[in-house]
Amino acid sequence: MNRRVEQVLVVGRDAAAWLSALALHRALGRTGVKVRVVEMPSLLTPADVYAAVPSLGALHALLGLDEAAVLEATRGLPVLGQRFANWSRAKAPFIHGYDTHRVALNDIDFLQFWVKARGEGMKVELEDFSLAAAAAKQGRSPVARDGDRPELPVSPGYHLDARAYVDLLRRTALQAGIEGRAADVRTVERKGDRIVSVTLADGMKVQADLFIDASGPAAVLAAGAPDAPFESWRRWFGADRILVASAPRLSPLPSFSQTAAFPAGWVGLYPLKDRTGLVAVYDSKVMSDQQVLEALPVLTGLPLAGDAAVEDFHPGARPPWSGNCVAIGPAAVSLEPLDAVQLHLIHTGLSTLIGLFPTEAKAMPEAEVYNRNMASHLGNIRDFLITHYALNQRFDEPVWDRARDMVLPEMLKTRLRVFAARGRVPLYEDESFQQQNWVQILIGHGLIPGAYDPMVDTVPVEEQMGKVRGLLARIAEEVAVMPSLETEFGGGAA
Amino acid sequence: MNKPLEIVIVGGGTAGWMTAAGLVGVLKPDQVKVRLVESDDIGTVGVGEATLPQMREFNDRIGIVESDMMRKTNATFKLGIEFRDWGFKGSNYHHPFGAHGHPIGGVGFHQQWTRARLAGQAADIGDYSYAIVASRRNRFDFPAEDKTAVNSTYDYAYHFDAGLYARYLRGWCESRGLTRTEGKVMEVKLDPVSGDVAAIVLESGEAITGDLFIDCSGFRGLIIGGALNGAFEDWTRWLPCDRALAVPTERSEDFTPYTRSTALEAGWQWRIPLQHRTGNGYVYSSAFISDDEAITRLMGNLDGKPLADPKPIRFKSGRRTASWKKNCIAIGLASGFLEPLESTSIYLTQIAVLTLLDLLPRRPIDPVLAEEFNRVVDNEYDRVRDFLILHYHATSRDDSELWRHCREMEIPDTLREKMALFGHRGHIAQYKDGLFSPPSWLSVFVGQGVLPTGYHPMADNLPLAAVLEEMEGIRTRVSDRVDAMPSHADFVRDYCAGEAPLKAMGAGA
Repeated sequence: MNRRVEQVLVVGRDAAAWLSALALHRALGRTGVKVRVVEMPSLLTPADVYAAVPSLGALHALLGLDEAAVLEATRGLPVLGQRFANWSRAKAPFIHGYDTHRVALNDIDFLQFWVKARGEGMKVELEDFSLAAAAAKQGRSPVARDGDRPELPVSPGYHLDARAYVDLLRRTALQAGIEGRAADVRTVERKGDRIVSVTLADGMKVQADLFIDASGPAAVLAAGAPDAPFESWRRWFGADRILVASAPRLSPLPSFSQTAAFPAGWVGLYPLKDRTGLVAVYDSKVMSDQQVLEALPVLTGLPLAGDAAVEDFHPGARPPWSGNCVAIGPAAVSLEPLDAVQLHLIHTGLSTLIGLFPTEAKAMPEAEVYNRNMASHLGNIRDFLITHYALNQRFDEPVWDRARDMVLPEMLKTRLRVFAARGRVPLYEDESFQQQNWVQILIGHGLIPGAYDPMVDTVPVEEQMGKVRGLLARIAEEVAVMPSLETEFGGGAA
Repeated sequence: MNKPLEIVIVGGGTAGWMTAAGLVGVLKPDQVKVRLVESDDIGTVGVGEATLPQMREFNDRIGIVESDMMRKTNATFKLGIEFRDWGFKGSNYHHPFGAHGHPIGGVGFHQQWTRARLAGQAADIGDYSYAIVASRRNRFDFPAEDKTAVNSTYDYAYHFDAGLYARYLRGWCESRGLTRTEGKVMEVKLDPVSGDVAAIVLESGEAITGDLFIDCSGFRGLIIGGALNGAFEDWTRWLPCDRALAVPTERSEDFTPYTRSTALEAGWQWRIPLQHRTGNGYVYSSAFISDDEAITRLMGNLDGKPLADPKPIRFKSGRRTASWKKNCIAIGLASGFLEPLESTSIYLTQIAVLTLLDLLPRRPIDPVLAEEFNRVVDNEYDRVRDFLILHYHATSRDDSELWRHCREMEIPDTLREKMALFGHRGHIAQYKDGLFSPPSWLSVFVGQGVLPTGYHPMADNLPLAAVLEEMEGIRTRVSDRVDAMPSHADFVRDYCAGEAPLKAMGAGA
């Protein structure tokens, strides 16, 4: 066997860098793989928040990070979903709840019964049949403060103070014996498509068998790779700015984020224990940074507290693995923080890398399949995000009119058409979001299937009604046993 | 309530009756009116005597009772397929319905097995597979419910008489109100405006109209290939076999709970044990052997007395570019053909039927449903195709022209990449949909001589000695537990002794 990968150098910053280091160390440290980190200056401000879909819990479990300890250290909150407001002028807001299962009656997707009943005049919203959404509306928490979880078909997402989270990750990594060195990168020495060494600003030259580029959108290693061009996704995402700010804590604490559309883009509210993170993603040609900043209190109903920060944003992706360098997180893919996928993108890159961790230092044929798998994963996630824009119902506003008219990726087009015809979302390989997630946002945005599954009519009407009532009653009972988020996590921070 | 959807099934082989059973078993008569047209004069091909475990899901979905079905089709159990002489002459391996070992130290069993093998300390990979060890000893029992038990790590399928199975489904459907019409289709009438199928006209002159026509007419694809002129994607360049001979023999002493596939000079021979007889056949390429030579070869290679003359079958490997076109859905051989090397024929029919149920249209038929149906079905065909090609391509046989051709032929990129990554590090992609799962790929890769030169680095998280001990424990537990199983012959006799007469029902192998 050829020489193995022994030295891994993570070059980067913030969550991507430290999650990479920790994950690779936990997976391979005992086999003799040594992971080191060159930590570049952080891009985070005190206002930044990481909002995460429930998959983060699984990553933490893998890394040995205790959920209660993470929430404590980051002044974070467990949440039950995301509320979308003002994406339609006419329609009420909806919640994408973190249910773990699709609800079915007699093995037939509940949605199908709902479509039928709706056609017959029933007024109950689909989200009333989502335990996560129902619990979120009542300020419930999916976990208790001590980490105890009622056994229910929901799983928590997370809001974390970004800087505190990175501090926790760094501390954990250093305690695990990972070497870190704070420095900027001066030059990258290459031979063909491989990186030989990285020279730091302090003059030190570092060699490794495998390099991880976790440097963020600048992609200090990956951007210089031959034949790995950045593909812009601007045609689907018009926003070119991200602004972050803080507002005072909400009381009582809501167990969901809010994503509200406005003429230039959308603004997100992410409740934390001691403050509320605000993020605006917008097209600066429609509203200037200053205009957005001034509009924020009106858009959110909250006064600003502390400084705001703005950065440019360019959506897109590059083939993440080139030669002996793998880009993880925003160095590989830039997606706006809609749907709370930032950390999930890092997680997906890492779990795919661990599954294909190269067996040899010299040749890495894994790159090709890694890049294809990641393109497939990222394409599906990207399409989920695009869906919000494509289905918006804000008329006579250039940003939103354009979004409705854009040419969609083929696979998304098929998904939407099949759903519109039959209420069934085709799921492809490498999906992050499952049937229940897709259904919630599609229905939420007002795409109602034209026909329901004929199988529904195999269930007698009385049985259907009985089961629907039973379902609502069960949800009410389950909500009642969940603790209040304010009671569990609100104490001491007010 | 709307008028029920009128569905006309053309052809009554396995595909026709499975489609009918799916529709009748799941839907109510006021939703769908199903009519099946078949002619007793037209024989069915029925090469699909061996099935895959997924078949049980189909039976469960429509409500078929296993023991009843097995008795009436003279069925036996199947734990996998034995491949003889495929990797090289004299070689032998099993593709089991089940896992090899279990993950050790956070990586798949085969990663540790590769590590042990490279260290010169691994036994045959089959020794760690419950289904394989049971197969080798001709044992059968149902998998344990307790998922931690070593005898829960496998699955099973059936061997049955496809002709009897179609007959069984026919009785089942007719007792549920399905209308069967005897008759030959003489003409397919298209709507001059939409191009949809308007009606089929029988020999009697009767015209049968419908909303949806299911073409189960077999290879010729009466509607899909005939009237609708649907294109066919030819895969002969990768799968050169184009003919088969089928011959039943008397039941043999060797009552195996598995199918046997033996590679011959110009193709391969199947052997499928049923309760009342053994099905045999030679799948071959007419480019490499004459029909007469093939007959001689097959008849000289049987382990029982023949019960009929060999029946010739001609085919072409490939699939329809679109199985659902206009208001016609091709299911079964009308939609595509892949040789029965991995017993996928009934599986592909089943997928088509279940997908049709998922996407059952209303009037007027939304074309997006056809697109989605074709996407799902095409994906299944393409994946099976790659898996079959692997058997032909990854061989060290060079004793005949067929094998030399297959070794050197260009293969699809999708397969080449799979082989390269397995060879490099034992990596096997896991799909969400479709065949085959990683244990299947593993058994065929290793069996055909594609052996990894590296393994997942995480395997080294455990010391080799600990891994070897665990592996040896698996081997012993498997062996000991299999010893406690009844023989396949005893199990079948007690559970589902056949009701069909002992003489063969035609040659439908």
